[in-house]
Amino acid sequence: MDKRFTLPIAKIVKETDSVKTFTFKHKIDAKPGQFIMLTDFEGGEKPFSISNCSADEFSVTIKRIGEFTTRLDDFCEGDLVSIRGAYGSSFFISKKKVLLVSGGYAVPTFYFLSKVLLANGADVTVVNGARSKEDLLFVKRFKKIGVKLFNATIDGSFGEKGTAVDVAGKLLKNENFDFLYSSGPDLMMKALQNICGEIDYEFCFERYMKCAIGICGNCTMDPLGLRLCVEGPVLPKEKVVQLTEFGKYHRKPSGSRVDF
Amino acid sequence: MEMLRTEFLGKKVSSPLVLPAGVMGMSFSGLHFSAISGAGVVTSKSLTLNSRTGHKGPVIAEFEGGFINAMGLCNPGIEEGLAEINEFKKVCDKPVIVSVFATSTDDFIKLTKYVNTSKGDFLELNLSCPNVFDEFGIPLAASKEKVAEIIASVKKISKLPIIAKLSPNVYNISEIALSAEKAGADALCLINTVGPGMLIDKKMVKPILSNRTGGLSGPCVKPIALRLVHEVYSCVNIPIIGMGGITYGDDAIEIIMAGATLVGVGTAVHYRGIEVFSKINEEMKIFMKEENYANLNEIPKLEKLWTKDSHCQLQK
Ligand SMILES: Cc1cc2nc3c(=O)[nH]c(=O)nc-3n(C[C@H](O)[C@H](O)[C@H](O)COP(=O)(O)OP(=O)(O)OC[C@H]3O[C@@H](n4cnc5c(N)ncnc54)[C@H](O)[C@@H]3O)c2cc1C
Ligand SMILES: Cc1cc2nc3c(=O)[nH]c(=O)nc-3n(C[C@H](O)[C@H](O)[C@H](O)COP(=O)(O)O)c2cc1C
Ligand code: FES
Repeated sequence: MDKRFTLPIAKIVKETDSVKTFTFKHKIDAKPGQFIMLTDFEGGEKPFSISNCSADEFSVTIKRIGEFTTRLDDFCEGDLVSIRGAYGSSFFISKKKVLLVSGGYAVPTFYFLSKVLLANGADVTVVNGARSKEDLLFVKRFKKIGVKLFNATIDGSFGEKGTAVDVAGKLLKNENFDFLYSSGPDLMMKALQNICGEIDYEFCFERYMKCAIGICGNCTMDPLGLRLCVEGPVLPKEKVVQLTEFGKYHRKPSGSRVDF
Repeated sequence: MEMLRTEFLGKKVSSPLVLPAGVMGMSFSGLHFSAISGAGVVTSKSLTLNSRTGHKGPVIAEFEGGFINAMGLCNPGIEEGLAEINEFKKVCDKPVIVSVFATSTDDFIKLTKYVNTSKGDFLELNLSCPNVFDEFGIPLAASKEKVAEIIASVKKISKLPIIAKLSPNVYNISEIALSAEKAGADALCLINTVGPGMLIDKKMVKPILSNRTGGLSGPCVKPIALRLVHEVYSCVNIPIIGMGGITYGDDAIEIIMAGATLVGVGTAVHYRGIEVFSKINEEMKIFMKEENYANLNEIPKLEKLWTKDSHCQLQK
């Protein structure tokens, strides 16, 4: 039944100039990769991945981009928002040696995933990409939970100089991983797919979402018609390799196609 | 699937189940996913002359009996929408209903000219969207004169058979259905969403939908759908696509008994997954075997509980 709950923001942490983590005191039944829909009833309801989740609280980490996220940026602890979820598919939990590659605001999802992977005995390496030092997310938190962390900045201001995919490429050449996870912009994941060889993987996609419950069809990916809010956002390799729109185009709120 | 094979307006159909307008119909791939999951016929999102972004979220909200939604007729516009349909037809030969929405006869005529050039099989006139009231006012389906005028004008030029999608939110459905039939509609589709209704968030004291109101769908509307389909069936001689809250095989059988030839399954795609079509197909077959109905035509129809004259008289 209705998965909606309206509650105050318990805690806000400023991560970077444009990214904040919002924490809610609420038990949510969520797995890594799943997302919630969040609204303030002022026009707009948007999907955000869960970046942390424990028995009695969960967090989302949000980048200020447009109208809705700019409004949210002004919210204070104690302000009410309304949330429904968690929705969508979740990541496969491997117990082996795994590589997580992500960039930008998609990185915090991999904090939640890393915690669950570690708890299941996996050997976790994370590549954390950003434009520059100020944009890197969750560096301390990743270190604290004990993953092998490689930071990559385009301008070389912290960690290795280059994209997350550049760094992942080197790691894949030098080490044997059993499984690969990626979350981030299509073009980043496409580049990763091109260099990752035979390894099995799961990718977490983003497409425009409205209903988030599999009815409206706005979030389908061609040619399979998979709904990213139900069959996704996490898709396995055998599906990903069939997606003709991957890295090429996506659909606007009207359903019109736009190239990346 | 032998048992469920039927014909609709001259086209062979593998199952009576229809993917209705606005559900999974934004892309060729959404239509295809529904078709390979067991829908016999698929319908596009209602297409308008120009693309529409739709309402801001929340556009849908759940309650005990179903959902209210006000998507706001988001669609990529007729040209891109038809391109999606043509692409669907390259990979699947199941019939497609092209749903179109406009607010004037002229625009319906323009849309029809586009649809004439497409690979669509049927043209559905959405005369009944309840969710764009602020923009367009009372749905056209509330007026039997407007319904007749639009259908007659479209009929003159359409290369495809015409289906009129009617609103449940009227007191004189038989009159409107008769007027659509007389004007040349080849089939009727009902019901569109009911109400509209409203849901409130009690902590923030706000309506949940950004549009404030939205049309009801899902199990709560089934009794209304059964009544309206039967009332219309009692009065007209053209086939009916019945829909509204159909979730299980039993619901589908009931709406066929009420008078439907084909059966739409929309909101149940959420409740039972995209597999809902194959599940309902199987459930219908089980019931038909139990009752010894060899095909859909053998499923008995309810004895007509209304007559053309008595009912239209009463409604006046
Ligand atoms: C499954 C999923 C998980 C996401 N997780 C996060 C997250 O953890 N943190 C985060 O900061 N952002 C996340 N996003 C993206 C986030 O939803 C958008 O940044 C946000 O909706 C922007 O809204 P806006 O009004 O501020 O910007 P707008 O100006 O409206 O849009 C800017 C861009 O954001 C995207 N966007 C806007 N609305 C939607 C929508 N309804 N559905 C999908 N994308 C949209 C589009 O690409 C658009 O071009 C996620 C998106 C998806 C689909
Ligand atoms: C999210 C959503 C969008 C819809 N969009 C349209 C539409 O564009 N055109 C239309 O004629 N009906 C639209 N409808 C109505 C459905 O086609 C159908 O008539 C109604 O939902 C009743 O069936 P159901 O209870 O099986 O969903 C929409 C319904 C829903 C739930
Ligand atoms: S957002 Fe509506 S089907 Fe995914």
